[in-house]
Amino acid sequence: MEICKVFFHLSVSVILSPLQNYPLYIRSVPSQSELKFHYTVHTSLDVVEEKISTAGKAMAEQRELYLGLLYPTEDYKVYGYVTNSKVKFVIVVDSSNTSLRDNEIRSMFRKLHNSFTDVMCNPFYNPGDPIQSRAMFTMVSGLKSDKCGWLV
Amino acid sequence: MAQCAQSVQEFIQDSFVPMVSVLCSEDAERVTRKNNLSFPELLRPFCRLTSEGHLRDPNNQVVVVKGLRISVTGVNTRSPNSGEVRKLLSQAVSGCQPPEGLPANVITAGDYDLNISDRSVKASVPWYSDWKEMLTQLSSSKYYTATTPWFEAYRENFLQSMPASDHEFLNHYLACMLVVSSREAVPTEQFLKLSQEQHRIQHSGEYTYPKWFIPNTLKYYVLLHDISDGDEQRADSVYEDMKQRYGTQGCYLLKINSRTGAAGPDEQMPDPWSQYLQKTNIHSPYEEGVLNNVENNISSEVDGLDLSDVVSEIHPLKLEQSADPGFPGNPSKAVNSADTARTQKQGSVTPGAAPTAHGACLTLNDHDRIRQFIQEFTFRGLLPHIEKNIRQLNDQLVSRKGLSRSLFSATKKWFGGGKVPEKSIAELKNTAGLLYPPEAPELQIRKMADLCFLVQHYELAYSCYHTAKKDFLSDQAMLYAAGSLEMAAVSAFLQSGAPRPYPAHYMETAIQTYRDVCKNMVLAERCALLSAEVLKSQAKYSDAATLLIKMTSEDSDLRSALLLEQAAHCFINMRSPMVRKFAFHMILSGHRYSKAGQKRHALRCYCQAMQVYKGKGWTLAEDHINFTIGRQSFTLRQPENAVAAFRHILINDSKQTATQQSAFLREYLYVYKSLSQPSNEGSLPQLPLPCVHSAQTRVFFGHEPRLAEGEKQAATHVWLDQEFDQEQAQLWAELEEQVVAVANRGSVHISFQPTQYCLSSHTENLRYPFAVVEEPMFVEVVFRNPLKVPLVLSDLSLLWKFTTKDFSKPQGGTTGETITNEKEAAAGKATALNDIISTEVIPEFTVGLEETKVARLKLLPHKTGELHVLGIVYNLGTREEDNSASEASQLMFVRGRQDLEIQGPRLNVTKEEKTSVRHGPDRRLDPIITPPMPLLEVFFINFPTGLLCGEIRKAWVEFVNVSAVPLAGLRVASTHPEFFTFGSATADLTPVTPTAAEHCSAYKTMVTPPSDAAVTLVSPAAFGITGDNRPTVVEIPLTGGVLGPGEALQIPLWLRGPDREGVHEISFLFYYEGLEKNAKLGHRVLRHKAVICASRSLSVRATACRSNTLPGRGKRDEREEERSGSMLVFVDVENINTSEAGVREFHIVQVSSSSRQWRLHKCINPAGDKDSKLASRERGKLCFRATRCRTQEATSDALEKYTFADLNLGNEQIVSSTTPCADFFFRRGPPSEPRKGGVITVGGLLRRQSLTPANSTDDSMTSIVRKCSEVELDIIVLWKAYVVEDNKQLILEGQLHVALQTIGKEACSLSQKEEAQEMVLLKFKPDLPPPASRPSLEQLSHLIKTCLHYPESYDHPFPQKSLCMVPVTLTLSNCSLAQVDVIIDLRHKTTSPESLEVHGSFTWLGQTQYKLQLRPQEVHGLSLKACFFQAGVYNLGTPRVFAKLAQSGTMCETSQQSAMPALIIINSV
Repeated sequence: MEICKVFFHLSVSVILSPLQNYPLYIRSVPSQSELKFHYTVHTSLDVVEEKISTAGKAMAEQRELYLGLLYPTEDYKVYGYVTNSKVKFVIVVDSSNTSLRDNEIRSMFRKLHNSFTDVMCNPFYNPGDPIQSRAMFTMVSGLKSDKCGWLV
Repeated sequence: MAQCAQSVQEFIQDSFVPMVSVLCSEDAERVTRKNNLSFPELLRPFCRLTSEGHLRDPNNQVVVVKGLRISVTGVNTRSPNSGEVRKLLSQAVSGCQPPEGLPANVITAGDYDLNISDRSVKASVPWYSDWKEMLTQLSSSKYYTATTPWFEAYRENFLQSMPASDHEFLNHYLACMLVVSSREAVPTEQFLKLSQEQHRIQHSGEYTYPKWFIPNTLKYYVLLHDISDGDEQRADSVYEDMKQRYGTQGCYLLKINSRTGAAGPDEQMPDPWSQYLQKTNIHSPYEEGVLNNVENNISSEVDGLDLSDVVSEIHPLKLEQSADPGFPGNPSKAVNSADTARTQKQGSVTPGAAPTAHGACLTLNDHDRIRQFIQEFTFRGLLPHIEKNIRQLNDQLVSRKGLSRSLFSATKKWFGGGKVPEKSIAELKNTAGLLYPPEAPELQIRKMADLCFLVQHYELAYSCYHTAKKDFLSDQAMLYAAGSLEMAAVSAFLQSGAPRPYPAHYMETAIQTYRDVCKNMVLAERCALLSAEVLKSQAKYSDAATLLIKMTSEDSDLRSALLLEQAAHCFINMRSPMVRKFAFHMILSGHRYSKAGQKRHALRCYCQAMQVYKGKGWTLAEDHINFTIGRQSFTLRQPENAVAAFRHILINDSKQTATQQSAFLREYLYVYKSLSQPSNEGSLPQLPLPCVHSAQTRVFFGHEPRLAEGEKQAATHVWLDQEFDQEQAQLWAELEEQVVAVANRGSVHISFQPTQYCLSSHTENLRYPFAVVEEPMFVEVVFRNPLKVPLVLSDLSLLWKFTTKDFSKPQGGTTGETITNEKEAAAGKATALNDIISTEVIPEFTVGLEETKVARLKLLPHKTGELHVLGIVYNLGTREEDNSASEASQLMFVRGRQDLEIQGPRLNVTKEEKTSVRHGPDRRLDPIITPPMPLLEVFFINFPTGLLCGEIRKAWVEFVNVSAVPLAGLRVASTHPEFFTFGSATADLTPVTPTAAEHCSAYKTMVTPPSDAAVTLVSPAAFGITGDNRPTVVEIPLTGGVLGPGEALQIPLWLRGPDREGVHEISFLFYYEGLEKNAKLGHRVLRHKAVICASRSLSVRATACRSNTLPGRGKRDEREEERSGSMLVFVDVENINTSEAGVREFHIVQVSSSSRQWRLHKCINPAGDKDSKLASRERGKLCFRATRCRTQEATSDALEKYTFADLNLGNEQIVSSTTPCADFFFRRGPPSEPRKGGVITVGGLLRRQSLTPANSTDDSMTSIVRKCSEVELDIIVLWKAYVVEDNKQLILEGQLHVALQTIGKEACSLSQKEEAQEMVLLKFKPDLPPPASRPSLEQLSHLIKTCLHYPESYDHPFPQKSLCMVPVTLTLSNCSLAQVDVIIDLRHKTTSPESLEVHGSFTWLGQTQYKLQLRPQEVHGLSLKACFFQAGVYNLGTPRVFAKLAQSGTMCETSQQSAMPALIIINSV
């Protein structure tokens, strides 16, 4: 199962998608350009795949889950994270935002991962369905407010 | 995958070729014109040399020139201006479309199977099924395996249209051919003229274009001889002369046109020109105008170029006038502007049809001659010329620098030593860098490098470029430097042998410089194209992609689109293909294509991207792509595909916003409208919206229910509003079965199926349902609107297919032809076939946003046959926000259909069915229309909704036969037969108008003062009661047994409130049939469900006990009665009504009894309590004496008859033995279980006996004992209630039944609610067998009735006589029908010491124990004497009586009840 998540500056968009890389959860706060983010995130999966395939063989076990910056576009930075079960998380942030450092992104991913684990533990959740968890929602909203710096 | 037909090397070589100009005399031009060609065009197909050439470089190394191509153009051929170039390129691209019909090229990338040619898409996506049509429309020119030929066409045209530039010499003219015809009077003079002309063009400085490579341009003199026309010998002599003058290497005699006359049409000549000229011809405005008219019209605003502008801009005549003064035009206009002249001619004659016959006068020999000529020219003229120039330049350079002779060793030293060149204009320094004078040494190096490059001496070229680059860089001449960098990189790449690594960074710098410093996008683009091609050839796809993407910019959409597409192809060609990036860039590319007006290419790009996105859950992206595909398809006149794409957006559960959805919907409707308009005739297409839930479709046969008309209330029957309820359905089916059984005299046919009026997914739909002709049927369709936009369906009606059949004929009838209303419905004339089947049309039906709504559609068949409902047809539209644009909203409706296909339930019987998924048929939409049947309508008049428990109300019921066929066999079945009665057969059924009887009592009354009971004897058969069962089916008498068409029958109906309070649902099933048996439909039913709310009224409890009075006191006949037994009946009546406001009080009007053995005799209430009034919560007690009926043994027939005895408490006597009182008595409810009490009990006992066969005597005994305590008396309490309702006082009346069964046991009018069973312990051991049954003590105690007769007070003078003796009579009466042995024991048996004290003591005198035998029913008096010793009060009830049945043993002996205390007062006088 693979999951991607996307975050945006101000706006957080999270996608989770299983094996076929379809989105499980997308969230973006300025919803007017959602289509564009769809495309961006979808395209970034190529890079994720590439990174996994190159790094995966060498050390499958102690692989770092955090993939780092996938690629910068003109306006956004795209970060990736892959769990051991090949769930992909993608966060997109505004590239003009310099206050976000690698460590913060990493901790955001960790939080997302925890939250996602909680969702998966929910016995009423049918794996593969789009996630409609309120806890997830508040958590993602919380991610923004945590970082007031990049919120504004 | 963007692979070229040529290799990269070939491509680059072909990009830079030696340029040769042509100056042609008019006569010569005329000669070539015969072939429809100008001279340069004539040569063009032969410009590639097939053989190798050789030359020597400055170091005397031999350089082999392979596959050299030269470019021959007219001297005044000018490179088009930027607008023209743009136009030209876009035409090149749009003229080149993907091919079709060749095997698809599938690229497997990861999980994706991508099909790069468009055909693929249809295989995977069903709605692309008609994609092929589109593809056939696309013109196909040439097919390269997985290529992008439009890109190559673009590139080729782009490179050709590159303007000559100052900073490089590659496309400067190296040589000039001077062509003169041999027919010229003096050819040599002509040559001279041309030569001067050339010199003037090059050196006069009048013209900036064309550019010349070297000052002393090679002049090559060509004598053109027309074989068919000219004198060959003269030509030869002229040629000899020329050889003298110009040397053999500088001139040539070309003989052409050896064919005389026009070529025969049968002769097949290869036409090598078409390939080249076709391409140029496309550029001609006329042809292109014709070709692209369609697209341009549609997309004129996108193109930004009006067609007329294009024409005027490129029109050859205008061109001349507004010609750039930099071009050598006027002097040799007619000859040398051949290209344009030709197009002009063609354009004026027949546009588009011209380029048919090229080289019509040329034979194959001529072709060979031309080829020979080019070869001669190149090897003898051009190459030596170049070689010479290289040497010259080399020498010059070496000498000028004054350094080492070897250029190669010198390069390093030049580095940094470049002098500052003269600047013509100082201001230019910042922008395009510097302008060198043509003779500057830096330019000489560059010139030499270019020469070397042209003759494929790449090593030397590289080193020269490298040197030049350094010079230019140090001079900050950026444009020159970039050019050198570019060429250095290219020549480094082209070096064979052990090449140095391709210097990609050179290219990058070059591109950057061109773009950023020089702002020259054209050069930058050329550079990028070259570099990308090189990178691709080295499998550096990601670099190539980056490079290409960088080159996309705002200024040219077409270029951006092409480059993005190439980048996308690069992504997919990577070692691990980046499919998603491919898709993304395809979309970007498609977007740019569409901006550039290249609709077809845009569509193609989107379709390819769609392969990646579809079905992956990226809905927004998918919708976007679909939407764009739809739009593009539509503008390309492919509305089917557009509709398919839009449909796809709408069908899926969209996550779009409402406005977006409404936009999609409008677009869809618009497209659909334009699609369907031309083809009004064909079958209607399927509409995607709204969703129809076929499985939930319901079908109803019959009329719509009428609303209640005033007091008349129609039977509820069945209607679509009622939800399906399994229990109800079961109940109705059972009722129907019962009534059918009665109608068929007790038997039900095996194939009996309950009639179903409403078919839904819950009913069994295996059989074809029956509908009756001239009766409507309704189809209820469930619509769901998935969008956030309201949908409006108008002119909604059903589609059907009908086969007429005449069922009245034997064996199935004759089958007529099949008719369908599809065509009529498509044309909007749904009512056209109304003489066969009337189809109702719903004018407008709105489905709100995300709403589920049902529509009911009506059909009325007028003929018998088989009907099939196929689907629905409607106009789909959307609610316009503004009503002002009513016309526009009119346009937004499209007509279409949706089919109703219902899948039956899954079969699961056989093994095969279990293992596979199979569905049974569902026939609910395929009714059989049967011949007419009677149709009953039932109305209830004055039918109440609320009743008191036991209340009697009279209502009327009306039966109307609304059909044209007589009706018979009317019956009704009900779940609650005790609730209603139509009256007994004896009752007067003459219809009285309901109003007249409104305020009268429902009962039949007589005025009589209260007195003894009036007695009537009634047989239950008179009330339709046979046997013991309550009748559930009642036949309704019709006059003559038939209800004629249109006739109505009104009969009274009495209702009695249910005994139990609460809401009661009472189901009536009316059954009827036609006079003649219909094979299809035997009977019909009508359902009615009444809801009655019963509220509490009175509660009646009654007990019976034996009277202890002795006979002999009353009259003789009384005594007689006494003898046969009498009872006291106590009736407790309590008002338990809770609504104090409504019901004021109850009056007990009368108490009647009904029994076969007993009757009420007399009211023995205390006097003065005549009107037994009961206010709320009051309770009253009534006491009656009951006696056995006298007639009991009179006739055997009487046993079955019931005696009704009425005891009225007021002045009115209600005749309880008539309707409705007796009816309800006989129909009373369930507590009637032991109707023949004793017998049933015996039966029960017998059954028990079989279990314990030990003592049979016991049982017979028991029965006897039992019987004597048995009483079978039903009390009917008739009451009136005074009710205030709406300030009006109403009198309600009613009756309550109490069944007394056993003496001493209380019976209640309210059947006791069974208490919910407590949890029962599970028992693991079997129950012990029931103990041997024997009469209980209580029962035995009723065997003998005892009674003590004595004076109540007795005076005795104790002082005189100390002993007082009082006579007492003990009366014993045997209640049973058997002999009883009685033992009377008078001995005191003091059980407790207290009793002694209380009673004092007295003694019985005489015999202390008697033993008697009493015959059945015998009364025996026993005289006793009591003896008292003192005055006081004594209880005489001490004798103990033991009784036993005579036959049985002593064991069942038991003491009779010691009765109540019999007190005697002994007074002392």
